[in-house]
Formats: sequence, structure tokens, C-alpha cells
Amino acid sequence: MKKLITVLAAVAIASSVYAEMSVDEIVKKANEASYYAGNDGSAEVEMKIIDKSGSSRTREFTLLRMNVEGGNQKFYVYFKKPADLYKQVFLVWKETAEGKDDSRWMWLPALNLKRSIAPGDKRTSFVGSDFVYEDVSGRNLKEDKHELIETTDTQYVIKNTPVDPGSVEFSYYTVKIDKDTFLPRHAEYFDKNGKHYRTVEATKVETIQGYPTVTESVVSDLNTGGSTVNTFKNIKYDIGLKENIFTERFLRRPPREVTR
Amino acid sequence: MKRLKMTSFSIRFPWIIMILSLVVVVLFGAQFPKVSFDNDPENMLAEDEYIRVFHNEVKARYNLYDFVIVGIVNEQHEDGIFNVATLGKIDDLTRELISLHQNAEGKPAVIRNGQPYAPALESESGWERGLAKVFGNDVNRLFTDDGSSAIISPEIISPSVVDNIKQADAGQLAIEYLMEEAPTTREEALVIKRDAMNNPLYKDTLVSADGKAIALYIPITEKTYSYNVANLIENLTADWDDADKIYITGQPVAQDTFGVEMLVQMATSAPLAGLAIFLLLLFFFRRFSLIIAPMLVAVISVVATMGLLIGLGYDVHIMSSMIAIFLMPISVADSVHILSEFFDSYHKFRNKAETIKHVVSHLFRPMLYTTLTTIAGFASLATTPIPPVKIFGLHVAFGVGLAWLLTMTFVPAYIMLFVRKKTLDQLKPVEQSDHHGLLGKTLGGLGKVSYKRWKLTLALTMAVLAVSIIGISKIKVNDNPVKWFTQSHRIREADRVMNSHFGGTYTAYLTLKPELIQTLTCAERVEMMRNAAIVRFDETLPDASATFLALLDETNTKFQTLENADIERCFVDLVGMAKGLDEQVSGAWNELGDEINYLEPEGLTYAKLTAAINGKGDEASRKTFAQRMAAFQSLEGADLQNQALDIIDEYAALSFEDFLFEARADAGAPTFKRPEMLAYVDRLQAFLSEVPNIGKSSSALDALKKANFELNYNSAESEDRNDAFYGIPPTPSAVSQVFTQLEGMKKKDSLFHMITKDYNEVNIWIQLKSGDNTDMVEVVEEIEDWMAENPPPTELNVGWAGLTYLNVVWQDKMVAGMMNALLSSFVVVLIMMMVLFRSFLFGLLAMIPLTVTITFIYGLIGWIGKDYDMPVAVLSSLTLGLSVDFAIHFLERSRELAKEHGSWKDAIWHMFQEPAMAISRNAIIISIGFTPLLFAPLVPYKTVGFFLATIMAVSWIATLFILSALITGLQKWLFKNKETTNSH
Repeated sequence: MKKLITVLAAVAIASSVYAEMSVDEIVKKANEASYYAGNDGSAEVEMKIIDKSGSSRTREFTLLRMNVEGGNQKFYVYFKKPADLYKQVFLVWKETAEGKDDSRWMWLPALNLKRSIAPGDKRTSFVGSDFVYEDVSGRNLKEDKHELIETTDTQYVIKNTPVDPGSVEFSYYTVKIDKDTFLPRHAEYFDKNGKHYRTVEATKVETIQGYPTVTESVVSDLNTGGSTVNTFKNIKYDIGLKENIFTERFLRRPPREVTR
Repeated sequence: MKRLKMTSFSIRFPWIIMILSLVVVVLFGAQFPKVSFDNDPENMLAEDEYIRVFHNEVKARYNLYDFVIVGIVNEQHEDGIFNVATLGKIDDLTRELISLHQNAEGKPAVIRNGQPYAPALESESGWERGLAKVFGNDVNRLFTDDGSSAIISPEIISPSVVDNIKQADAGQLAIEYLMEEAPTTREEALVIKRDAMNNPLYKDTLVSADGKAIALYIPITEKTYSYNVANLIENLTADWDDADKIYITGQPVAQDTFGVEMLVQMATSAPLAGLAIFLLLLFFFRRFSLIIAPMLVAVISVVATMGLLIGLGYDVHIMSSMIAIFLMPISVADSVHILSEFFDSYHKFRNKAETIKHVVSHLFRPMLYTTLTTIAGFASLATTPIPPVKIFGLHVAFGVGLAWLLTMTFVPAYIMLFVRKKTLDQLKPVEQSDHHGLLGKTLGGLGKVSYKRWKLTLALTMAVLAVSIIGISKIKVNDNPVKWFTQSHRIREADRVMNSHFGGTYTAYLTLKPELIQTLTCAERVEMMRNAAIVRFDETLPDASATFLALLDETNTKFQTLENADIERCFVDLVGMAKGLDEQVSGAWNELGDEINYLEPEGLTYAKLTAAINGKGDEASRKTFAQRMAAFQSLEGADLQNQALDIIDEYAALSFEDFLFEARADAGAPTFKRPEMLAYVDRLQAFLSEVPNIGKSSSALDALKKANFELNYNSAESEDRNDAFYGIPPTPSAVSQVFTQLEGMKKKDSLFHMITKDYNEVNIWIQLKSGDNTDMVEVVEEIEDWMAENPPPTELNVGWAGLTYLNVVWQDKMVAGMMNALLSSFVVVLIMMMVLFRSFLFGLLAMIPLTVTITFIYGLIGWIGKDYDMPVAVLSSLTLGLSVDFAIHFLERSRELAKEHGSWKDAIWHMFQEPAMAISRNAIIISIGFTPLLFAPLVPYKTVGFFLATIMAVSWIATLFILSALITGLQKWLFKNKETTNSH
């Protein structure tokens, strides 16, 4: 009897933990889990862009990320393949504060050209793939209204509606978030006519240095029939990156962290 | 008599015939609701036709769609189209089209001012609504089967949703839409104008060079939606004021509109023609009850033929929509012969059954043969390679056969049942007087002329033929679906306006791909690298360069001995060696650079910097560095750091490893990342801009040059320096890096409409101002000539696609096909004639009127400059079928009368009585009967109407006068045998 009570109590506590968690807390935790693991990190990414007919193009790059103050982040993307993009670099400073825009630079080695890119639409294609910049760096939580529309045994289902509908191409998107890891596993985007047109999935998850980490993600564009698969390798966290490598100076002369 | 069997049966059991006919009408008529229409000229070619397959491949490979082109023209505002109000409306329209969706009632709706709005798309005219219903043309059909919009929203080309790459504030580069938001001030509107005009892809395509017009390109999933999409756009812009004029054009719209109006024509022209024929019959025969028979024959034949076509599952195509019009005169003709004879002979028998038997036994042979020849003429169309023409020919042939059968059975049965004896008795005197009326007298007089002046008649004929043959040599084979509409039609107007403002609304795609995709062997790559390495390193690093060249040679020897050496493997080996060499040459400098790079710039002084690099690199490099830095020791912070790195880069930049990577990228570059190939496309496009019929050409190169310019643009530099970047980047890698920027534009993958994702093939979009096939052919020839004179660096395979080009292909096929069909049916008919008359000479004579008619008609077409298009081509078989009919009747009767009267001289007077009368009535009925077609708003119908009348008139003249004259001249030979027989 005592045992039963304990079990019941445990269940009650457990469920109350879930029940009490507000939708804002869920999305915040999910955001942290997917974009903020560790103080910094690096990964090698293979990006396979597959079109309707099944033919594909592959890009390989090394990604460095560092969390800085105020939830801001810095990203350094260093291309290794294909051969004609070798040493091309993207540098992004992600700003989360209201009214502040991200900063972006790129380095095109074959043109010996460094260019700063105006903070434009974050929902444009990332180097021609089906991923948009926002998929890589994360969408600001303040840009959507979040609703918990369903809770299953293992997942939360959140509906996200943009605060400024004119700024994006979707009318809303739903995300399924794993209860245990808080990693978003499956997102579906709906267009202005309410048609599901895009899916982003975390297809493989591994725990690395104690952090649940997405090691393969897939975006499918239902309109074009194309998809992009990102495979992450050599993932490392807390490697002690110096903030000054996320500067223009390191565009032309890439840091050891990516060339090694 | 055997030949009377059918008719006798009909006379005895007329009700059975009536019931059978009714069954036929009901059975075939029941197929009508299944009707489906096809107005796609693409279907002039068989599905598996090479060019069609290729066209579809090109469309799939480059993700190309058929467009509805919406032109918006403002001639009134000082800034033309680039004013706040108009741009705002264009932006709204774009967003409304993007938002097209099905509402809860399944009706099309858009989002207007944030609210769902379901436009009323149905026509206000009840007649049009009714027609639309009958023909199953639902204007609300704007969605595919799965409910998604017929408009491919992500691919719409409109200022609101096309990419623009431009300079932003503070030296930044902006990638955004041309019109991110509708402008609110004149300045903003003019910025959009400037940006659009500065983009080679948009000027003359999206915006007109005069700034007065914008063209939106609305891609649709299937061409068959274009009429409805056009209708939707007209509806959504109905409330726009007069200053902004809307013109909707593009080949799909023209074709689809044609289809819709074709239905209207089918529903009006054919019945009107029927009515006209009916009135003429009434005029000649005076008795309603009598002439209803030929009308019924025509109706039953048309219903059965169309029913058969629909029942067999064929679509009603532009050609088959004319079946009724072609079939009506032919099917009426036979019954008119019977009726004509019946009238003339009735008084001899005063008995319906007897008269019919007499008439049919008399006319059986000529009617059978006229029918067979007509069938041969149309059935020969089955030999053409054009499916709709085949189907048309075979069905008309079927209809003609049926009409004959009805004439032999239904007409007698009808006379037996519904024509009262009394009527006939009363009728006779009237008819008799008519015989000697104006027509009769004129004919008699003309008969005398052709007998007495036969030489003159023949001489005139020869002259006309000679002139006609010159005319034929002037014939221009040409077609243009837009020209199927009359000059004043809104489609033609839109076409004129749009092509005056823009590069052209007619599309052709010129695709280029390498004959062979080059894959260099290891040895070839090494050779390339060797040459490049000498250029790069020989002067600056002579020692290391020698070592590197030795390494290359070594690799070369090693791999040359192996067949199919793995190229990657040969590269990997080299990279390892190059790294070692770099370490020797610039390793120390790189170590220094790396160290300095990681220093915190804040508070950095020269002293701190020297301290940091102490022990790094080697003695020599540190010494050189210190010397070079002597002048910059006072610098601090980031400035100092950058200066130090600049100096180091001079020594460290020469990396053999980097060189290898570059060399690998260059050697493995796909065809159209190679600057020399792009330069070739550039030259080709420069040439295209000079070809008179080409309004504009666009390619990936235009995008590349523009992007290269904007990327490299620096406001601090001179204009000359910046302008120099408006060109092709110098190396394949540089090309690739610029292209990669274009891949990541806002409108994803728009680059890949013009180049394949592997960069091995390009598609040049050519805009033509005219859709005439002749113009397209000229363009193709000019380009082929130019490419032959200017061979590309790598051999290229040229392929053409696009609707304008497809039209050319089927036209070529049609001309050749029609020629063959005409010749083969000519031979078949000639043989038939010889068999019919059992005489070589009579057989030849029978071919004279049709030969004269066809020659004259096509001569006329040549002289008046009418294009030889599809309807004109098909007329040849109609001519063949109808002209020979007159000749058969004429010759048959001539022979009989000559026999009867002993000589041609005596016979000819009789010939120009009743037989000439019958032929003349027929000719007049058919030619006048089709005048309603002249008022049709669609040119092919007008053409058919005009030429039907002309054909009848010429065949009539050719038969009555030329044949008479010829017989007169040839009577010795023609009637020789008869006379001998008679004398026995």
C-alpha cells in the first residue's frame, strides 16, 4: 500500500512538473537545447542538397559557434568542399535584443573579396540549400506567439504564429519537442493558404559530452520536391574558443580551429 | 438492279429507315456529354515526337513553366508605371495572386486587405454562362486535383518577389526583393525604377525600357488554366482606374482563349451556315417539306461523326471543331443532286417510288464515286504526321460515307413518308419555269460560249494556271496562334501593346550543352598544373618552384604507367607533398601570421606584438618582419595588427597547397563555370541582340555579371574600376563563388531556370517580338550560321525548345505531310476515275477541274500574301473532294447525253440544262451557305469560309466551262468509240 502511494505520488509529482511547465518555458528550454549547448562548440557539417529528380550537390563546412553576452551568439562557417568554394567563409553575429539586427560578413577567396551583408531577410536560403539562415542560427523566440496545442507521452506540440505575419512566408509552424531532451524533432510550416509546405526534422540525435545533440537534420520543401540533409560530425563542446576569431580579420586568415 | 437494293428497301420500309436513323442520332448524340476539348497547338505533334519530348525535358530540367503575361501600362503619369499608386496596386495584385486558395465553399478566394475575398468570376452574360456550362468550362477551375493553386506562387515574376542585389548603406551588400514593400513616396518609387533598369534580367522583360510598363509573369501548372487565370486577373483589376491599362497575353492565354471562343464558334457558325444553306435550298426548291431531307442528312451525319469522335475518346481540337463546317456542304451536296433530279423527272412518272428508283439508278454510280473520292481525299490526311489532322481526316471520311448512305436510304424514305403527292404535282410547273429562268438561260448561253470559243477558254485557263503557279511559288508557310484572332481582338491588341513595350512575349529556349563532358586524365591535369605553376611561382620562388615541378613530373610518370588512374588519388598524393613544400617555404611566416592574428587588438602595441612572436617562426622571418615593420611601429591596436598581417601575407600567400586546390577546382570545373565558355555565351548574346526578330535574350551570365559587379562594387573606388567588374570573374573558382551567392538569393533556385545545377548546361531565354514561324525559323538559322562561323571553345550541342519553336516543327511536318497526302490522294482519285469511266482520257479529264481549282486557290493564297497555315493546308483535301464531284457528275452526264444525242455538239445544249443546273445549285448553295463564317472573330473560320466559297466558284467554272471546252476539243477521241458502237 505504501509502495502504491509512493508510486502514485511520484506520478503526480512527475505529471505536475510537466503540467506546470509553461509554454514559454518549453520553447525557451528547446531553444537552449538546440542552439546554446555548451559555451561554444564546433562541428563538421556535410550538407547534401537533393533535388526533385534525386540528383544532389554536396557542401562541406566547419561550423564554430560561441555564446556571448545577452543570449547573443557568433558563428563562423568555413567551407572545405566543393573545391571551388574552398576557404569561403561566412561570419554571423546573431543579435537577440529587440531592434538589433544580425551582422553578416562573407569572404570569397577566389575574388579576394570581403563583403559585409546588409541585415536582410533571415529566411533566405543558406548557400542554396533548403535550410534558411534562421534554421542554422535559430529564430528569435520573441518573433512568434507560442501555444501548446498538444502534449503526448513523449512530446510537446507547439504552434508558433508570427507576431508580424508580413515578415515571413509562413502563416504558422508547429514543432514537436521531445520531453526528455527538449530538442525540437519535427517542425511543419504552413503557408498563407494553410497548406503544409515545409518540414524540418532532427532525424538523428546523440548525446555528446552530456549534451543531447542533433547529428542529422533534414529539410524538405514540399513545393519543389527538394530536400537538404545536414550531417554533423566531430562535434565538440566547450573547446575554449576566443571571441576574437569571430572577426573580419579571421576571414582571410582562417583560425586553426577550422583548418586543422 | 443491285444498286437499287438499298433504295428499294427504303421505299418499301421507310419507317424502319426512320427509326434506324433516330437510333443512330440518339446513340451518337448520347456521347456528347463526354466531350472534352483540346486547344493546345502542342498536340499538333504526337506525344512521343522528339521535339516535344525534348521540350518537356528542358522544361523539367530548368523548372520552366508556361506563363500568363500580365502587362500593366501607364502612359499618363510623368513617371510612367513607377508611381506610388500603380506600384502599390501591382504589389497588392501580386500578393492577391500568391494568396489564391479555395474557400470553404470550394470557390476561389484571395486575401485582399487582410480579408478573404471571393471574386465573382462567372460572366455576367447569360449566354456565355450557358455556353460555359454546356461545354463544361468552369471559370472557377483554378485548382489542381489536390486543391492547390493553379498559379505556382513561388515562381511568380513580379517586382514584389524578384531578387535584387544592390549596394546598401555603409558599404554593405543588400540582397532583397526589387520591391520589398510598396513605395510611399515618389523617391522610393524611383529607386525601384532605377534598380529594375540596372538589372539586365529585368529591363525589357519585367519593366519596359521606357518606364511605362511592367510585365508580370504568372506561372501556371497547366496551360489549360490560363484562360481562367486571365479571367481572374481581369476580375481582380476591374476596379483599377483608366490610367493603368491591363493587357493579358502570352501563348497559353492566346491558345486557351482560342479554345473557349472556338466553342462559341462551333455553337454559332455551324448552325448559321446550316441556316444559310437551308434558306438557299428553300429558294431553289420552294418546298419546305422537301428540303428538310438534305438538312436532316447533314445534321445526322454531323451528329454521328462528332458522336463517334467523342465516343472514341478523342478531344475536340481546333481541327475537329471544323468537322461540322466541312461535313455540312458535302453531305448536303449528294441529296441536292437527288432532289434536283427528282424534281426534273417527277413529271415523267408521277409516282414517288418510280421517280426515286429512276433517279437513284441514274445517279448511283456518280454518287458512289463522288463519295469515294471525297473519302479518299480526307482519308489521305491520315498519312500526315499530325494527330489532330489525322483524326479530322478520318472522321470527315466517316461522315461523308454516312451521308452517302443516308442519301441512298434516308432521303427516299423521307420522300415516301413526308412529301405529299399533291405538293409535287403543284410544284412542277413552278420548277419547270425556273428551269428556263435566269440561271437556266445564263447557263445555256455560257454553254454555247465554251463550245464555240473552246480555244479561247483553254487559252484563258492556261494563262490563269501560269499566273497561279507563280503565286504558289510565293506562298509563305507560316502560322502564329495569336494571329488566329482578328486584328481588333483584345488578345491581338495586348500582343501589339506588349511587344511594343517589351523585348517580346514569344518564348524560345536555346539550350547549350557540351557534346562531351570533359574529364581530364591525371596526366592532363598535371600538365595544366605544371604550366600554371610556372606562371605563379617561377619568378617569386624559383627554388621551391623547381622542387614542385619535379614533384609534378614524378607524379605524372607514376600515374602514366597506370591506366584509369584515380584522379583523386593523384591529387591527394600531391597535396601531401605540397604541404611539406609550403612548410619549408612559408611555414615560418604562417606561424608568425597565425600568432599575430590571434592577438587581442585592444591595447596592442608594437612592443607587445614583438613579445608575442618571440620564438615563433624562424630567425630569418622575424628579422625580415622587423625590417618591414620599422616604419609602422607607432601604429596601435587593430591598425597595427592589420599592417603586420598584410606584410606577412606577402610572404605567406604563395602556398603550393592553395595552388593545388585552385588547380583542382579549375581542372574539374563544369563547362559553364569556365570563363572562356561564359565569354562565348557573352559573345553569342551580343550577337543575339543584333538579330532583328529577337527582342531580348537572358542567361545565367547576365545574373553572374551583375552579381560580380555588385559584389566587387566599392563606393570609395573609381567608376572605371567598378565598371571593370561588370564581367566574367577570372577563374572557375571565382565564377563559382559568385554563382553561389546567386544560389542563395531570396527567390531560391531562380538561377537554375537558366543553368543546370551541375553548371554543365545553360538555357538562354530568347524573347521574340513575333510568334510567326517564319521569324522563329530565321532566328534559328541566323544563330546556327553564327555558331558555325564562331565555334565555341568546347564543342556544344544546341537544342531548341519553347512554344514558338514547337510551332515551327509541327508546321514543317504539316506542309510536308499535306503535300504527301494531296499527292497520294490525287493518284488514288485518278485511278478511281479511270476505273469509273473505264477510260484513261475521261479519267484524266475528271482531274482537270480539281487541278485547276487547287492551283488557282493556292496561287491566290500566294498572291494575296495569306500565310499557308493549318486551315489553308487542310482545304486542299476539301477541294479535291468537292471539285472532283462536279467533274464526275458532269462527265458522266456528258457521256450519257452524247450517246443519247449522237454527238457532243447536240449533247452540250442538254448538258447546260438540267445537269449544269444541278451542279450550279450545289455550288451556289455551298458557297453562299458559308458566308456567315466570314463574320467569325477567329481567323481560321474566316479563312475556311472565304476559301470554301472561292473553291466552289472556281470548281464550278472549271467544271462547266473548262471541261466543256476540253471535251469540245477532244471530242474526236473521247466519243470515237461510242460513235463506232452506235453505228453498229
